[in-house]
Amino acid sequence: MLVIILSGFIFAVFIPWLYRRFGARSGWLFALLPLGWLFYLAGQAPLVLGQGQAIEEHIPWVPSLGVELAFRLDGLGMLFALLVTGIGALVIIYGGGYLSGHPYQGRFFLLITLFMVAMLGVVLSDHLLLLFVFWELTSITSFLLIGFEHQRYGARAAAWQALLVTAGGGLALLAGLVLLSQVAGSGLISVINQNGAAIRSSSLYTAALLLILIGAFTKSAQFPFHFWLPNAMVAPTPVSAYLHSATMVKAGVFLLARLTPALAGTSLWQALVSSVGFMTLLVGALLALGQRDLKRLLAYTTVGALGTMTFLLGLGGDLAIKAAVVYILAHAFYKGALFLVAGAVDHSTGTRDIERLGNLASILPWVTLAALLAGISMAGLPPALGFLAKELFFESLMESTWPHYLSLGGAILAGAITFVVAALVAFKPFWGRTQDVPHPPHPVSVEFWLGPVILSGLGLVVGIMPALATPLIQGAVQSILQSSLKVKLALWHGITPVLGFSLLTLGLGGLGWAFYRRLWQGGEIWRKLAPWGPARLYEVGLNGLRRFAAWQTRVLQNGYLRFYVMTIVLTTVLLTGFTLLSRLAWLGVGGWGDIRFYEFVVVVLMIAAAVVIPRLRSRLATVATMGMIGYGLVLIYLIYSAPDLAMVQFAIETLTVILFVLAVYRLPKFTRLTPSPTRFLDLLVAIGGGMLMTALVLIVTARPLVPHISDYFAQNSLLLANGRNVVNVILVDFRGLDTLGEITVLALAGIGVYALVRLTLGRLMVYFEGLEEEEEAEHERAL
Amino acid sequence: MSLSDLMMVLPIAFTLVWALVLLLIDLWLPRERQGILALLTALGLAVALGLDLAQSGRSGSAFRDMVVLDNFAVFLNALYLISGLIALALGYDYLKRMEMERGEFYALLLFSIAGMMLLTQANHLILVFLALEFLSIPLYVLAGFARPRLESEEAALKYFLLGAFSSAFVLYGIALVFGATANASLTGVIEAVRSGSAEVGFLTAGAVMLLVGFGFKVAAVPFHEWAPDVYQGSPTPVTGFMAVATKAAGFAVLMRIFLNLFPGLATSLTPIFWGIAALTMIVGNLLALAQSNIKRLLAYSSIANAGYLLMAFVPYGNAQVAGQAISSMLFYLLAYGLTTFGAWAVVVALEQAEGRGLTLEDYAGLGPKYPWLGVTMLIFMLSLTGVPLTLGFWGKFFLFRTAVAAGYVDLAIIGLLTSVISAYYYLRIVVIMYMRAGEPRVRRDGWLNLVAIGTAAAVVLLSVVPVQMLELTARAVLHLP
Repeated sequence: MLVIILSGFIFAVFIPWLYRRFGARSGWLFALLPLGWLFYLAGQAPLVLGQGQAIEEHIPWVPSLGVELAFRLDGLGMLFALLVTGIGALVIIYGGGYLSGHPYQGRFFLLITLFMVAMLGVVLSDHLLLLFVFWELTSITSFLLIGFEHQRYGARAAAWQALLVTAGGGLALLAGLVLLSQVAGSGLISVINQNGAAIRSSSLYTAALLLILIGAFTKSAQFPFHFWLPNAMVAPTPVSAYLHSATMVKAGVFLLARLTPALAGTSLWQALVSSVGFMTLLVGALLALGQRDLKRLLAYTTVGALGTMTFLLGLGGDLAIKAAVVYILAHAFYKGALFLVAGAVDHSTGTRDIERLGNLASILPWVTLAALLAGISMAGLPPALGFLAKELFFESLMESTWPHYLSLGGAILAGAITFVVAALVAFKPFWGRTQDVPHPPHPVSVEFWLGPVILSGLGLVVGIMPALATPLIQGAVQSILQSSLKVKLALWHGITPVLGFSLLTLGLGGLGWAFYRRLWQGGEIWRKLAPWGPARLYEVGLNGLRRFAAWQTRVLQNGYLRFYVMTIVLTTVLLTGFTLLSRLAWLGVGGWGDIRFYEFVVVVLMIAAAVVIPRLRSRLATVATMGMIGYGLVLIYLIYSAPDLAMVQFAIETLTVILFVLAVYRLPKFTRLTPSPTRFLDLLVAIGGGMLMTALVLIVTARPLVPHISDYFAQNSLLLANGRNVVNVILVDFRGLDTLGEITVLALAGIGVYALVRLTLGRLMVYFEGLEEEEEAEHERAL
Repeated sequence: MSLSDLMMVLPIAFTLVWALVLLLIDLWLPRERQGILALLTALGLAVALGLDLAQSGRSGSAFRDMVVLDNFAVFLNALYLISGLIALALGYDYLKRMEMERGEFYALLLFSIAGMMLLTQANHLILVFLALEFLSIPLYVLAGFARPRLESEEAALKYFLLGAFSSAFVLYGIALVFGATANASLTGVIEAVRSGSAEVGFLTAGAVMLLVGFGFKVAAVPFHEWAPDVYQGSPTPVTGFMAVATKAAGFAVLMRIFLNLFPGLATSLTPIFWGIAALTMIVGNLLALAQSNIKRLLAYSSIANAGYLLMAFVPYGNAQVAGQAISSMLFYLLAYGLTTFGAWAVVVALEQAEGRGLTLEDYAGLGPKYPWLGVTMLIFMLSLTGVPLTLGFWGKFFLFRTAVAAGYVDLAIIGLLTSVISAYYYLRIVVIMYMRAGEPRVRRDGWLNLVAIGTAAAVVLLSVVPVQMLELTARAVLHLP
């Protein structure tokens, strides 16, 4: 199977080149690849379906993590792989005709092939991580295909929406899969599926399940994430047929089926999966009311069908699983065909509005045939496969623990609406009066009707002779249930309650068809309710997030250095203060010494200066007052008999004040002081910072330090260096290297200053002259 | 000092000497032939890289235990040196056309790299501080290299003031650690902690102060605010260098110091790390949403990436996952470095004089018009998002795995959710590139293309062999004194 995936990727590389070579006709050529896969897979069928053996391939990839390229072809994988390759081949042929002359047709072939490979990867992977990799690849290719007509804003927005919903859900899925493999101790799906009981009793089960379900529900457009699917209909029709009906959106359903042995069976699973499925089933059907666009009608019923599949998987049990598998097959046949039909109609007439279409049967005979066959299946009429699927659906509802009036009522209602939609899509455009269409309908080439006829024909043939598909269905059911259940399908069940429900559905549907205009006017209500739907929630959420981000930028990133400094100080005070407070015990500071009068005076002066500074409006005064604090410090050093420190501090303080004055005296006064509340906050931060530093200094000085190094110098200066002046010895001997370094630095700095002076003196003069001229000019202007 | 001492720091010493030589050569080089300097710098970096790689597998300490050598340092030194080479390639044409080609650029770059290597090998807190300043001061100058562009000057000044401010915290932290243990050598501090003579309260306060200082260097929230302003104002090749190498150096010193000195303080420090990691991921990603300037957007993206890295560092005190944490962080640094440099190369290619060509709108139509550049940018954005089949995916995967293995599922989920947000802004660039019509103006330059295509190829091809890469980083263990 690695061969399939690799050959797909390699083939994809050559597609642009091949397309340039063969042009629009290359669709037939590109279809050969999936057809080849189809035959390869079909060749494995006797082994996989006949003997129930799964074919496995393991190639180590990241052995230290137990990640390997593990593929597994079992019944379920076979069903999906056949659908993906078979419908893929038809859709590629169709795309050759549908997009003929389109500037990006080559890109279409490339993307759809890549998607096909990714989708095959999803259904064939036996490792969770591998599955996830392909899962995200399908999301990305789907995004690119929805945005195919990217000149249109709608296409971009829809592509965007689909990507955010499905890729976002995909990340939740990743988290869920990681948890699941942690619980199971392996990433291999076949191993995980054998440890179902242990997984379900694990404490992480709920979290893993919820995350995986989010991934599956977003992908399969389950309520409340269903809104992206109808919007995705801006994609070219073959894309809608393939990705958004037959394959990709079923990936979520596939995942649920795949992990059924590991996750299903708990009441949480049943409650969540079946009720979400049921909601989606109803929502999809009801939202279809009032739609006039062929593709949107099909999209909403697709949502409903996906809901049905999820519902059945949620119910669990032999019958429901069997029903789900048959439903998947039936839906892939008829919905794929109808989408392609809709595309052909659109191509021929230029519109997809059901109100404007009619009487196309004579112009599009083959398309009409396909539409009718698929329509029968979709409406649930015998002898198509759709009828069989619906019977099984009703039957499993009868068996389920759900209250019958609710589940059956919902199912019958949805079935009736689907019937009406089937009539509107598959019948109405082809018969009746000719309506006004943008351009006179033209016949379509073989590419357009080949796919739909084959698909819808298959739906009918399998319906009449279910035995043809029984091995496939049985294989899928067996691998979902991990049992050797025998599946028998028959069109005629005899006269049972189920048949009665079917007839009721058909009757209701017929009634709905007769009064469909009134019904559709009623559907207008959705337009009014739209502002309260989940799509709106998505929009509001996205906009809110954007606005929140913008607001946050304004607040946190306002560009003011002082604000940044404040944040850092505040955080440090909080973090360090927290540590200090949490260890109050060692905050024991030694007793106070006697406070002398001079000290008192100096400190009071310094505090007074600190209080005054923020209230000053003149920069010069501020600098001078800051100098006061510095000189106060000098005095304190003197009082504590540290004249060397005092000298240094004095020199630095003086220099700073002079530099400040030089820089500052040209600047204007502070005119805009910040408002009081801000200043109050600043005060709090300043006090916090100051207190923290004070506390730290107190604590540090309270601790006895290592023995003074000065003793060592005093004792050894004569002994080791033969010098009586300790300072001299330190400078030239004990720290000789330091001195050398300092001298070098000074010399270098001197050279630098000399160079600067020489280089810039001339320019500086010019600069000052210019400045003076400017000032004079300003002066004159003022006068 | 003996010869064997010198051998331990040979790449550093060589880089320093080479930088001084370059300064001298610059004096005699005419203005219009500055290109020679770039080539000489590249030569020097390549030689230093060779010297560094020759040291792999060796370990030990030198200069009376002031510096250590281990595979961890060899790996990171190689990362800095390669970053320097890439920054040179980005700047070769850029400096010329932006009219800021001055010889000092190359010497400053080398000085900064030497500082980073020293920081990574320092085994003494005072040396840590010195190296931190040594790597930062050239960067302050480099940030203002686009003088007289006001933005650049503002960036340099902001970076300098805030950097000096945060250095003060590092110094405070060192003082407190010294106060607690009466030792500034890492070996000595470890001894003191082991023997129980250390004052735990002091040590904790010191550790927090150090965290603040290093948090500034790696641009973790709430010490990140300089990053967008500085990244935007600096010349773009310098920005790329800062985003990769400086961040890596910050993480290197964070790892060495915290893993060595403070594993015992994990109970009180872990909540702080947890909070900073969560905040960094959330704020970085959220703020990136609102950006319309590509440099600012990438700046926030680099903040967010620091958050992911910190997430793996949260359980640093847990001996069972610490090794895994280091190797996954180093792996991520590599993945992130390659991806980010590639993205910056594309940014450089589109940047025009006077700071034009930097809005997201300027990327409209890039994909169809310049397919190679478009595809490489697509790869970088996918890798930053963490999409499979790129190195970024594995990077994130390993980080998340570490967090989950240490029991921080909550952090991993925050990381995942913020990754969803990041998908929005990364892929928005892709959407603009491919789905909007536009006439992007691109500077064609061979070196830029080489960087873009080379890193893109690495990002994709190396993702096929993640095991080998992870094993490489797993071998880069810390030397425990």
